[in-house]
Amino acid sequence: MSYEIPEEQIAEDFAAALADLSMNSRYEISNLTLIARENTASALVISEALKTHIKQTSPSKKLPAFYVLDSIIKNVGTPYTLFFGRQLYSTFMESYALVDNNVRSKMVEMLKTWKEPVPGSMDTRPVFPPEVTRPIENALIKARTSFLQAHQEQTRNQQSAMGRGRAQSTPYRETPTPPSNYRPPTQSAQPAPGYTANYTPQQYPASMNVQQYSSQQAPAPQPPYTTQLPPNGQQYPSQQNGYQPHGLPPRPPNQQYPQALPNSSSWQQQRYPTPPQPSYQSQVQAVGYTAPASSLAALNSDIENLINETKAEWSRNPHEVNFQPKIKALLDLQTVLRSQTLPPDQISLIQNQVDQLKQAPQSAPIMQAAPAPLPPTPVVAPPPVQQPTLSSLLGPGALAALLARQSATPQPSSAVPATIRSPPQNNSHPFQPPSSVAPATTPVPDPASLLGRLRAAGMLPGLAASTAPTPLNSSTSVAPPPFLNTPPSAARTPLATIPNDVILKPASLKIPRPHLIASLYEQLGAPCTQCGRRFQSDQEGKKKKAAHMDWHFHVRQRMDEAESRGQHRSWYVDELDWIRSREVEGESGTTTADSSQSSNSAAAAKNPKLQFIPAPDDPALAAVPCPICQEKFEMKWLDEAQEFVWMDAKKVGDRIYHASCFAEATKDVNTKAKRGTPEPVLGKRKAEDDGFAFRAKIKSEPVA
Amino acid sequence: MSIPGLGQAAPTAAFLAPIPVAPTVVHDLQANSEWRFEVDIGEKIDVKILSGTAEIFGTELAVNHLYTFRGAKSSIYTWHGCRIEVTGVCEEYTAEETPMTQYVNTHFALEKLRDEAERDRREGPRVLVVGPTNSGKTSLVKLLAAYALRMGQQPMVINTDSREGLLSIPGSLTATPFASIIDVEQGWGSSPTSTSTPVPVKLPLCYYYGLGNPEDNTKLYKPIITRLALAATSRLTDDPAIKSTGMIIDTPGVISQGKGGFDLISHIVSEFSVNTILVIGSERLHSEMLRRFSTYRTSTGETITLVKLDKSGGCVDRDDTFMQLTNEATVKEYFFGDTRTTLSPHTQSLGYDEVTVYKIREAHTNSFLPGGVEETDHGLYEKVEPNASMQHCILAVMYASVSDSQDTIRDASVMGFVYVAEVDETKRRLKVLAPMNTRMTDRPMIWGSWPEVAVSLMG
Repeated sequence: MSYEIPEEQIAEDFAAALADLSMNSRYEISNLTLIARENTASALVISEALKTHIKQTSPSKKLPAFYVLDSIIKNVGTPYTLFFGRQLYSTFMESYALVDNNVRSKMVEMLKTWKEPVPGSMDTRPVFPPEVTRPIENALIKARTSFLQAHQEQTRNQQSAMGRGRAQSTPYRETPTPPSNYRPPTQSAQPAPGYTANYTPQQYPASMNVQQYSSQQAPAPQPPYTTQLPPNGQQYPSQQNGYQPHGLPPRPPNQQYPQALPNSSSWQQQRYPTPPQPSYQSQVQAVGYTAPASSLAALNSDIENLINETKAEWSRNPHEVNFQPKIKALLDLQTVLRSQTLPPDQISLIQNQVDQLKQAPQSAPIMQAAPAPLPPTPVVAPPPVQQPTLSSLLGPGALAALLARQSATPQPSSAVPATIRSPPQNNSHPFQPPSSVAPATTPVPDPASLLGRLRAAGMLPGLAASTAPTPLNSSTSVAPPPFLNTPPSAARTPLATIPNDVILKPASLKIPRPHLIASLYEQLGAPCTQCGRRFQSDQEGKKKKAAHMDWHFHVRQRMDEAESRGQHRSWYVDELDWIRSREVEGESGTTTADSSQSSNSAAAAKNPKLQFIPAPDDPALAAVPCPICQEKFEMKWLDEAQEFVWMDAKKVGDRIYHASCFAEATKDVNTKAKRGTPEPVLGKRKAEDDGFAFRAKIKSEPVA
Repeated sequence: MSIPGLGQAAPTAAFLAPIPVAPTVVHDLQANSEWRFEVDIGEKIDVKILSGTAEIFGTELAVNHLYTFRGAKSSIYTWHGCRIEVTGVCEEYTAEETPMTQYVNTHFALEKLRDEAERDRREGPRVLVVGPTNSGKTSLVKLLAAYALRMGQQPMVINTDSREGLLSIPGSLTATPFASIIDVEQGWGSSPTSTSTPVPVKLPLCYYYGLGNPEDNTKLYKPIITRLALAATSRLTDDPAIKSTGMIIDTPGVISQGKGGFDLISHIVSEFSVNTILVIGSERLHSEMLRRFSTYRTSTGETITLVKLDKSGGCVDRDDTFMQLTNEATVKEYFFGDTRTTLSPHTQSLGYDEVTVYKIREAHTNSFLPGGVEETDHGLYEKVEPNASMQHCILAVMYASVSDSQDTIRDASVMGFVYVAEVDETKRRLKVLAPMNTRMTDRPMIWGSWPEVAVSLMG
């Protein structure tokens, strides 16, 4: 094989061919794939060329380029998988941020296929190893979560009012015209791409979902959903099973990428709230299921019904407090069932309980009869600001807000606040299981604690701890001792309650005590898949785990960023600083993040300089200067918020001010009496400086 | 390696390296057994736990995560049995007989003390680990710290062994609170850098002794220990999480081997208010400790619990060459980072007149002086002008001012280390490698003889 000269040549040719690729042309893509296959010796340069192309090409050409990548990794595989895998996160996310929603959903579909084995291949490993895809998923989840956060705020109050009325209608979140249930494809054409993103990913999953829908909607079985593809495509995922090993992502003609960039207004419209969300959910389902589908599907539909009935009940008696925990427990149970592999006996156990439960509410009027009499209130159609723009999608300090909320809300699970607070869209929507929010913060909800809550809510009788189901993690290991990854059924057992008779005497130290070893393993909860650290399954443990996973996520991201920047070791801390420093949370990374987040919000309350808002996407809006000082805002990337922000900015009404300017101005108005006290110079200059220091502190995060 | 087009091989490290394909072996370990391995310096192995549970010195390993070990003598223990996949060449064997039961029970006994301490709002146990060189002291310290961490505690780990560094380069003595998982691949982990690391960084407080053996200059070693204990105790008292967990103190093997050393142990015991002493291996040491401490009361009136623990059969002698290479690797890592994080140190050129360098006097050079009264006059350090013999040496930059007295400088903590890359006698300039680009001319620097760096780091 010749390596030297042709390598550059190949890269050049490849890049040139790529440059011509402006649409999803099967011929061109297979041609490029062929080139890649025939030149595996030059895989590095080829993959570099493709990566560069993806990064540099215009948004409209990004998707075809990704399809080339997809085709190469699926048809050629190693070593390309390796080379692309290295920077897949940045390649993917950078493009994701730039393309429109339609393309985004395509990208998400594609990502999903990367987590599965190559169709038709003997190899059971996923296309990309999970270490590569997981960060991307996390980022997408984060984006979705932050959107939901923003969205929930406004819809929460509508909960009880909307609960019943919208029970049957599809959650047409941002659109003022609620479509009817399960609208035929023709209808879906009207709201266009946004809708698809919400709709299609639910189509392909196995019988379970279908059954779930049908059992809900009508006794008569629905035709398979795959036949109801909306005209704008999305066949890629639905063809999963029939995917030919060497085939390219097939796309119907009308799926060709729009050549012209959408203008500003259509852009806004297209940005449908949570494109990644549904697909993620379905991924989880698709991946998580190995149990017998039939009984599971039945169980799922039963639970789904129960949830709906309970909700209907609740909406009739909004003051009845018992419903909330009940619904929550059911929703969580549903999540567990969907995202995890439970042993069959466990499933049948749950089935029995669910069956019993079904008896009780049966007498109540079935909500199916009520065809959404309540029109959606204006609140559901949010003001233009709340249009899910890129910024709201990624959310200002979404993570911070989420974490802060968790600590502030006495909810038993991090998943719950999200679900409970957003019922209008979620609870009532059969397509979109409300608990789908759960993976965002607690990727693996712990079944044991769920069952515990079900029990607490009086929905399940006490079960022996030994029947606690095995969480997802165990399915990844080859043959773990069954009890090892089983989280404790109750909250953490303090060591004091475990018989610990060890004393520091030679004889005592020599006696093996297996029950104590357990307190280093299974009693600590399930391990993190990245580093093996274990987390309790109780509320606090979940919170910690969520923060921990965030930490892993941030670290990967920062390391990627830092690679190009050049890094150095820091000086050791001074004696006094060291004595004063604290390892608050257990992970210096998390610690600083947490403390800076809390100090951020706390400081932001007092200190206008630390306030920030997401930079507006609308160029017109972005060009408007601060009405007080007439200076423009400076856009900065804020690690913590994971997006571009305007530091020292504050939105008052429709206008955006420098927070410090605003504080200054209002102070003049509000505290004229106190003006005697000379205010330290709080000029904008100073504000900027401090703002910078603040950012610098975030950057130099590891110093705890 | 898989054939292109057939399947997607997981990115194995073997692919990255152009060397011949490393052999992959799968070991099935019985419950309660230990897989011990030695990887030569410059070599590496990849280890993956396929199923079961496994731990390295108390830190649990994640299943299906690839761990890479370079130039290490280490072991993987399993309480429940596991299956591991090893890629690469190493000396290895599986041992059924280990002192792990003893060790883990020690942890639980300490845990009981910690529970009591928390209840009574007292300080948790201060544990001193003593034993001859290569008896597994540091491994036990690491194990106990890791177990404590797993139970949600925050142990403070003190290193009084200047022969090896803990989160710092050799020659230094450190105190480090551990609140996050110990890095199983890098010994203990990393001190802070300007970026993030895959394992959370630890924040050591660092003092500089600068010699390999504490007995070389006890007049320097003892006050530094006192200072270290003072700082660590202050932190302990202030920091509730650490307070109930207490300290775990690692010691140099050499002080467990002779009369002069025992005095140093007594010094450490009193400075840190040690109330638990774990003696590894040596019968004689145990009886000597009993003799010294059976009637001893700590400053708070506590008695000292003394336990003898078995030495692990896995302890291997690390010869001088291995230590030398390990130390050089540690120094390199300080400046340049490890394989996962590349650090870029700054090169600075300093004039002879801009730096203040103190060379440590070694005790035996003093002892030759007639009368010995001059020792205090001469001080601990000798102020020297840079010279050619300084090349390839490590200087400790102190948190002190050049105008400070020698005692103040001795008691100061270390800001960082610089490496003298080049000495230009004619131009009277030094070229030094510093972790970051900060002016250091107003800081005194201490020149010790440990660690010895034989080769140029710049090559």
